[in-house]
Amino acid sequence: MVSIEYYILLALVMFFLGLFGALFRRNLIMVMMSIELMLNAVNLVFIAASRSLGQLDGEIMVLFVITVAACEAAIGLAMVIALFRRSGTVHTDFLRLLRG
Amino acid sequence: MLAPSQLVFHILAALISLVSLCVVVSRHPVKSAIFLVVDLFLLAAVYATMEAHFVAAIQVLVYAGAIVVLFLFVIMLLNLQADALAGFRVSVFEGVTLLASIIGMLIMAFFTLTGGSSGLGTGTWTVDAINAAGGNTMAVAVTLLQQYIWPFELASILILLAIVACIVIAKKDKPSVANPSSTLAAK
Repeated sequence: MVSIEYYILLALVMFFLGLFGALFRRNLIMVMMSIELMLNAVNLVFIAASRSLGQLDGEIMVLFVITVAACEAAIGLAMVIALFRRSGTVHTDFLRLLRG
Repeated sequence: MLAPSQLVFHILAALISLVSLCVVVSRHPVKSAIFLVVDLFLLAAVYATMEAHFVAAIQVLVYAGAIVVLFLFVIMLLNLQADALAGFRVSVFEGVTLLASIIGMLIMAFFTLTGGSSGLGTGTWTVDAINAAGGNTMAVAVTLLQQYIWPFELASILILLAIVACIVIAKKDKPSVANPSSTLAAK
């Protein structure tokens, strides 16, 4: 049996790789994929904690996280499509309408 | 000497770290999406080694099967080209955020490694209790459909809302509004 610390360390690595992508990639779709990576890191911690504590609440929470992530991906990608149709790009440097 | 389960975990962890790095640094979005599928499959394998069988199945079906395919559809619909990683700029805000995050990660890793091992807790669903209830899937089903029935039902409303929102957001504008040669195009 692997102790929970290793799972948390793996999740930390995944989370910060995802954060790096979300901060430094300039493509909106790449940003969204990095966010999915971060969500998966959180799911891993939920399941590790659930197993370590002898409770199933973490696994249930992961199911809800997956549900919300699916909704988030669908709506986010719909917004990306609408944005691309309107402005012709998904490059974040060009999308600065709200920045004035 | 590592036990077989530990050896499997270490191999999977190394692969997951490597593939996650590939997801983030791949220049072409399609390659990133393919790496993301591989990453999600490997995570499902980790869940399976933790005896979270139902979540592992859902991970493969929903995450790798639906969400990433949605990403791939959109990437191909928009016909995105590989973007240049070489010329990317870093603003002060992003640099400071990343630096603070890395420091936070190191502090968290320090406390994770030096803190006392919690070991198995005293929850009601120990490994023996799960086996007695008929396996992980049965135990998850009992918990989900009894204790968490209202969040479960609310999730269906959330999905319905997401469907309607997607249709409204992504449908074409009215012909009078739509203007293919928009001056907003910033190419």
